[in-house]
Amino acid sequence: MSLKTKLVGAAVLATTTALAGGAMADGHGDVCKTPSTLGELGKFEGEVITIMGSMEGKDEEMLTNTVSCFEAATGAVVKYSGSRDFAALIVADLRSNNAPNIAIFPQPGLAGDMAKEGHLVPLGQESADWMAENYGAGSSWAALGTYADANGKEDFYGFAFKKDLKSLVWYSPEQFEDNGYEIPTTMEGLIALSDQMVADGNTPWCIGVESGNATGWTATDWMEDLMLRTTSPENYDKWVSNELAFNSPEVINAMEVYGSFSRNDDYVAGGASSVATTFFGDAPKGLFSSPASCMMHRQASFIPAFFPKKGEEVANGEADFFYFPPYESANLGNPVLGAGTLWTMTKDSPATRAFFEFMKEPAAHEAWMQQGTFLTAHKGASLDAYATPALAKQGQILTSATTFRFDASDLMPGAIGAGAFWSEMTAFANGQDAKTTADNIQAAWDAIK
Amino acid sequence: MMLTRSFRHILLAIIVFIWVVPFVALVTTSLRSETASKTSGFWTAFTPTELGHRFGTHDKGGTEEFLVMTGNIFERLNQDKDSYQITGDIKSILFKGRVPDPENEGKTILEKRLVFAGEVMDVRGGDFVFQTNGDFTWTFPEATAPRPKNLDVFLDQDPIFGADAFIEVLFDNKNVPNALISSFIVTIPATIIPITIAAFAAYAFAWMSFPGRDWLFVIVVSLMVVPTQLAFLPVLQGFSGIASWATELNAWMTDCEDTGTCRVASKTFASLWVTHTAFGLPLAIYLLRNYIVGLPKELLESARIDGANHLQIFVKLIVPLSVPALASFSIFQFLWVWNDLIVALYIGPADAADLVFPIRLQKQLGTFKDQLHLLNASAVISMIVPVIVFLSMQRYFIRGLLAGSVKGG
Repeated sequence: MSLKTKLVGAAVLATTTALAGGAMADGHGDVCKTPSTLGELGKFEGEVITIMGSMEGKDEEMLTNTVSCFEAATGAVVKYSGSRDFAALIVADLRSNNAPNIAIFPQPGLAGDMAKEGHLVPLGQESADWMAENYGAGSSWAALGTYADANGKEDFYGFAFKKDLKSLVWYSPEQFEDNGYEIPTTMEGLIALSDQMVADGNTPWCIGVESGNATGWTATDWMEDLMLRTTSPENYDKWVSNELAFNSPEVINAMEVYGSFSRNDDYVAGGASSVATTFFGDAPKGLFSSPASCMMHRQASFIPAFFPKKGEEVANGEADFFYFPPYESANLGNPVLGAGTLWTMTKDSPATRAFFEFMKEPAAHEAWMQQGTFLTAHKGASLDAYATPALAKQGQILTSATTFRFDASDLMPGAIGAGAFWSEMTAFANGQDAKTTADNIQAAWDAIK
Repeated sequence: MMLTRSFRHILLAIIVFIWVVPFVALVTTSLRSETASKTSGFWTAFTPTELGHRFGTHDKGGTEEFLVMTGNIFERLNQDKDSYQITGDIKSILFKGRVPDPENEGKTILEKRLVFAGEVMDVRGGDFVFQTNGDFTWTFPEATAPRPKNLDVFLDQDPIFGADAFIEVLFDNKNVPNALISSFIVTIPATIIPITIAAFAAYAFAWMSFPGRDWLFVIVVSLMVVPTQLAFLPVLQGFSGIASWATELNAWMTDCEDTGTCRVASKTFASLWVTHTAFGLPLAIYLLRNYIVGLPKELLESARIDGANHLQIFVKLIVPLSVPALASFSIFQFLWVWNDLIVALYIGPADAADLVFPIRLQKQLGTFKDQLHLLNASAVISMIVPVIVFLSMQRYFIRGLLAGSVKGG
């Protein structure tokens, strides 16, 4: 027995359980058979890379499968641990020198905060340049991952890897057929359709914003989509940086429009009061219940994973989506809202650097695309790799967008985008008026300036 | 007298009822099918319940033409199911379609009505009739190959129970069995270590005189008020310091650098043992000291006169006499560590195979909030262990609750 095992006796036990449960990623070997071939990444036999993120369940499975291609190519061992409490855990780990090699931030706001505290390792200007060149709307992605450190020096930290498309309305084609509804192409049409549904005795919308300690984020997505549809993209950018105050008329107007959907008892399944307490993942189930409790659900591209059959509905035609349309009268083009996870290096090692090279490979993107819900901005990745026609259709919405904007709450400082904005929108769902809501968020923002 | 006694009984019955209902609910729900538990409350599980389902008339992609199609709604509903077969009586089908609006020329209104057994309903141009037992006929005026139609059907569903969720949780993957093993690895040492240390300390505080004893005791007791959450960051920093020191030592002592495996993890089971021990100790010392100080002084004095040293007194007298107090604290500590989520989350190992039960449960909530039946089954499994521990040790527990409260008692 070496001294090491005596010193850290627990390691032995940890290994025994690991042996007992070593059922990882078997039978997924074909995931790595991609249209593009993986480039040379170097050999890191037995070296361990730890990754922390918030992805769990199906996403975690797909991540592990994708990462197995890197393991097979380099011999490194990648350990991923996902938790719904990622935001709290990563802060404790970083501040106590327990950093994993890679942290996957779902919100750039928090990543920026951590960069400021000096916990992130810069990925280098050449990575930023690579991203600007090889991603669609690349320079905006590079900007999304660029933060200031403690001295105010800007560097590129966040590598955007997995993309979500938010401006989608999900519905059941069969319900639309039975009820004789047509897919609207303008916001005016969408509102008219909602009214017709009410007149027919149906409920148009399922809305739920409950999400544990992230309650409210669904509502912020609605807000952002409506901001892009009621005011200019320039105003949206100013709103993100708070040059346009949160309680300015443009923002309050968007909030009122959101309220005209979510705070209308006739519009929302279960009534407006149920919005704050309905789990966001349960909300779309109303589309498929017997009888259907609602007709439409506005949510991002990931939501089929929460459908009763885990997304099989999309493949067999029970569920489909259309683009959340803009106002014809507003003349703002076809704005699209999206988001992405940011992979940051929190502890340097040669194998970790190789992993970031791996993420630049089209093959890495294709490996994930083949498995299911995953959208990429990588121009080199073959579109044929998308698992389903629905995903390809989402890819098309992305490319036909005249305006692309990132999720504003992700861009705002953590205290707002993952704090006051969420909680105040929940208060709004509970009946607080738009002016007070906007004033409160602005006050929270003033407090951190 | 009679009145107060029956009042007491009623009060007791109410309290028992309040405590038992959630347990019964959990066990019942864990034995129901996923759809049933999501669409109706557990109290409806024992009697036939009216539930809505959706069924498709036939499979997609058929090109065969026919005049009459026959089938059975239950067969259609159960075709992909190995268990939780739906049985019962069909009540009605929800018919939906647009019909001309009698009030507005050229406009249509949505017609929604319930169609009952034996009534004729127009589906894709054919006459659709169903019976209570689920048989349906679909008659067309001329041979056609209609597209399948999904219909909302309401039925009085018979109760169905099954252990599928338990089988899935225990045997489909190793997550829950692994979590059980991990929880034992964490809980058993995290119970034994603090109780051992605390017993020695309690004896010292009770029967050995040394300078500053009372002050030291006050300090130990006052540590009980330090909240665990407050200490996470410093504790983690400490472990990370030890781990990096061990990594360096490892690199110096072994040839791990050649294989790149020098790194010693800072979040391990051992970290959990240390943390739980540290946070369990103040209460353990307090509880045991108060019990041990109440043991008859004459007993110890006569032992000392017979020439016994402190260790002998401790092992031969104190420990056997303190079994109730030791056992009751073990239950406290065992339950607290077994149910602990937050310490394990921050300080415990993060590898999928090493997660303790509460984290696994939480992950199932996050991942499978749509698969509540799996969460329920896992929750029942996680409850079994504390229940066994509690029942097997409860006679000590009741005695031990009085530990230190009655002098000489």
